Amino acid sequence: MFRRLLLAAALLPTCLAPLAAHGPTPQRAEERITIEAAPEKVWAVLASFGAIGEWHPLVRRVSFTGGDAAGAERILTLEKGDITEGLDEVDPNERRLSYRLGKENTEALPVSFYTASIQVKPSGGGSEVVWDARFYRADTTNEPPEGLDDAAAIAAMGDFIRQGLDGLKSKAGGS
Amino acid sequence: MRSISVGRKRFLAALGLAAGLLPVRGVLADPLIAVVSQQAGVVTLIDVGKAIVVAEISVPRVPAGLAAAPDGRTLYVTHPDLGLISRIDIGTRRLETSFRVGREPFGIAVTEAGRTLIVSDWSSDAVIRVDAASGHETGRIAVGKAPAGLVVDAVGRRAYVADRESNQVSVVDLATMTRAATVPTGRAPFALALSPDRGQLYVANVQSGDLSMIDTARLEETARFKVGLMPYGVAVTPDGARVAVANQQSGTMAVIDATTHAILARPKIGSYPEGIVALSSQRAAAVAWADDEVTIVDVSRAHVVAHVPVGAGPRNLVVLPEHWETGAGEDMLER
Repeated sequence: MFRRLLLAAALLPTCLAPLAAHGPTPQRAEERITIEAAPEKVWAVLASFGAIGEWHPLVRRVSFTGGDAAGAERILTLEKGDITEGLDEVDPNERRLSYRLGKENTEALPVSFYTASIQVKPSGGGSEVVWDARFYRADTTNEPPEGLDDAAAIAAMGDFIRQGLDGLKSKAGGS
Repeated sequence: MRSISVGRKRFLAALGLAAGLLPVRGVLADPLIAVVSQQAGVVTLIDVGKAIVVAEISVPRVPAGLAAAPDGRTLYVTHPDLGLISRIDIGTRRLETSFRVGREPFGIAVTEAGRTLIVSDWSSDAVIRVDAASGHETGRIAVGKAPAGLVVDAVGRRAYVADRESNQVSVVDLATMTRAATVPTGRAPFALALSPDRGQLYVANVQSGDLSMIDTARLEETARFKVGLMPYGVAVTPDGARVAVANQQSGTMAVIDATTHAILARPKIGSYPEGIVALSSQRAAAVAWADDEVTIVDVSRAHVVAHVPVGAGPRNLVVLPEHWETGAGEDMLER
């Protein structure tokens, strides 16, 4: 009994640690979309970090703190649960922001960690948006079960980005 | 003191090139760097003087870490997802063999004049010693959780390992394969680099966005300062004057004054940079993982000199030692 308590005590800090643990091999996703609207208009939609629920079809609800500046956090409610993201960098000149998964939930999204960036570039009379991510499979061992492997992570992240870009385009609209 | 003499030659070589002098045959041969590309499963050899690819060698999938033998003729590559290490003959540019090591071999260094490999095993929380010729494990020592980057001080016979999820560096005495010390760092230490005199160890802490400086005599952290978002690579110039850091989330290289710790410049170097090496006192090269390029930077002018395309997903790179030093590099000049 005493031993078991000791063991529990030893495990406790690991369970509570906010560190997002991940494996050694990242995967990547990159998607682009062209939007008729001017870069300033697209950027204004994107830069409102807590307002992603207004344009991302997979995001059902958002709660957020810290506004639109680096250090802000948002909790996204997806179909199968919540994930937490932290905003790390906002560069209005480059129209680029980068953010990171704070608290994983592999039920909601089968990845153990990611960083991502979205940038709006001028293109013709409108905009091109580039959304990329570096992420890790949900099960970081070398024998991941189906659904928690690289293929599942790549599919889920690619879908999240693709649908997000489509939603962004609908929201930002024409010029 | 090998590293210092190499550093001096690099410095002289850089001066010579900067002054537009003709290279002296056999001494100032253009250096080669080797780059591992994770998605493509290739090692690319780049002539950094000409900024061109001279060879591409296929390896098993998901290569991550790499290290060169001191004679520059043999290269070792880790494949964490396969539990493998590959050995490549640089002369023939061929994959010689791959052998099993641990569960998820990641960081790697070559020591004892090329006879021994020291490897971090990410999921076994161990440092493993391997006979380079046979590929057999000859020893192991438990370290912290998720050991990632690893450097060896061949003179001091020590390995320094970044225990990513334990927020510490483990110091391993290689003669006895015992852990001599653990030194607490910032959050999620990943890459490390020794100063040319081996007196300082720089550790890039990914999650706290800072660099830990460890005094290797006292084995204590003597400074910790912010460098940028998600530092994934660190290198020290051969004169010890500057430290270059790859800030992955910002896509920048931070050029840091080693004495004052001031950030001198922060040039954009590409998308999701990771491994970085110093080529001379003036130049450094880093991989841009999502751009499939190696970026060569003039660190004193904060100016990108060249982008060299490589296989998809470059993660790490290493300077091949020989071509800086001896006549063995002559074949490179005549090609």
